[in-house]
Amino acid sequence: MFGDSAYTLIKELDRNPGTLPPYNNELVGEVKKEICHLVQQNHADSMANDESILGENGTNYFPTIRARHAGVQRNLRCLLAYHYNRVKCLRTMRWEFGSILPPDIKANLSSIETNWFSKYSSMLAKYMRSISEDGGLNLTVDLNPPKALYIEVKCLVDYGQYELSDGSVLLLKENSRHFLPRNECEDLIRQGVFQHIVT
Amino acid sequence: MNESEEINISNEVNSDESDSDELILTAAQVIQIMEEAWSNEKFAPEILPHKYEIVECILGQISHVEENLSNLINDDLRRSIHQMELDRLRYLVSSYLRTRLEKIEAFVCCILKEEDERASRNKLSYLSPSELEFAKAYRDGLDQHFTDTLKLLPAEILNNKIWQNEIITPNLDAFVFAKAKSQIEGVMIERDEEFVDLEKGSQVIISYSNISNLITNDKVSLI
Repeated sequence: MFGDSAYTLIKELDRNPGTLPPYNNELVGEVKKEICHLVQQNHADSMANDESILGENGTNYFPTIRARHAGVQRNLRCLLAYHYNRVKCLRTMRWEFGSILPPDIKANLSSIETNWFSKYSSMLAKYMRSISEDGGLNLTVDLNPPKALYIEVKCLVDYGQYELSDGSVLLLKENSRHFLPRNECEDLIRQGVFQHIVT
Repeated sequence: MNESEEINISNEVNSDESDSDELILTAAQVIQIMEEAWSNEKFAPEILPHKYEIVECILGQISHVEENLSNLINDDLRRSIHQMELDRLRYLVSSYLRTRLEKIEAFVCCILKEEDERASRNKLSYLSPSELEFAKAYRDGLDQHFTDTLKLLPAEILNNKIWQNEIITPNLDAFVFAKAKSQIEGVMIERDEEFVDLEKGSQVIISYSNISNLITNDKVSLI
């Protein structure tokens, strides 16, 4: 059936909202092949059509061509949707993880997506640097309105030593609790090193 | 937001705020403008004219105050209070800029097209220069991405760039909460061809397209 593989592609997207499953190279390839195939057939038929019009009682190929063309359009749409949504997901990850992706996510990307990611990363960094005259503003912190200056956090992993911006060094051990300035731990919370304790 | 931050910052600095039009504003006024711009930007479906001067001004103040703070000793009470205010302000600014970036990314083709039109009619541009640069880079990145992924397809499809045929546009008919900042007469409700008058301070739920020009003219604010 036309469009089946494209449909599977979209279904895959739909089943994994907010995460990036491995890039489905195989299926994408199939959809592309289908498109090429349909376009070729249409080409062939449109040539035949010219002659049959001249011959008057030849077969009329227009409905078939239309149907195929609709198939091509639909497949393209699905392909674009698949890629666009992955890119959007990737974009969210840039904001969450910063410019270096965790290796398990990196493994799921196609090389083109990796390219896009590094490009996006650098354009975002460039924009953030250009915001104010002195050194820019990091927009990926301060994601939530600040409620208190210090927050209590629990360390979830053995992280080792961590230097605060005032120069003091903390030893972060699993299950240790700390009372730290919010802006210092925001990054670590997002990386899953800390858990914010809300009382 | 919070009233205390206005008082706090206006104590710190009162002299050197200025708009591009050489308006003299107090710090409290600057922050109020910023807050309003922030909520307008947050609730409007499309991107609004940038307030780059205000952003610059506040960021300048933040670093200025931060410099002063670093002279205070660590456990001074004033320090933590000021630090809190700074964090709030920084959140305000970055949230504002983030919202704009999200809009730019979502509607990049549409926004750039409008921006071109504005430039060709010599109107004031809605994006700040660096936002414009970002938008262009983002569009080119997407273009490149789609071209690369659709490689190996027949040339007539690639050359058409079909992803540009159906660009995502903001829903301008979305309903918004608006508050009139002054007496406004004769706001036309397009579909019914009705006119309504807005009292100063009154609040309405209205379709965004009907009041979009009032927002850019600073006559209503979104809440």
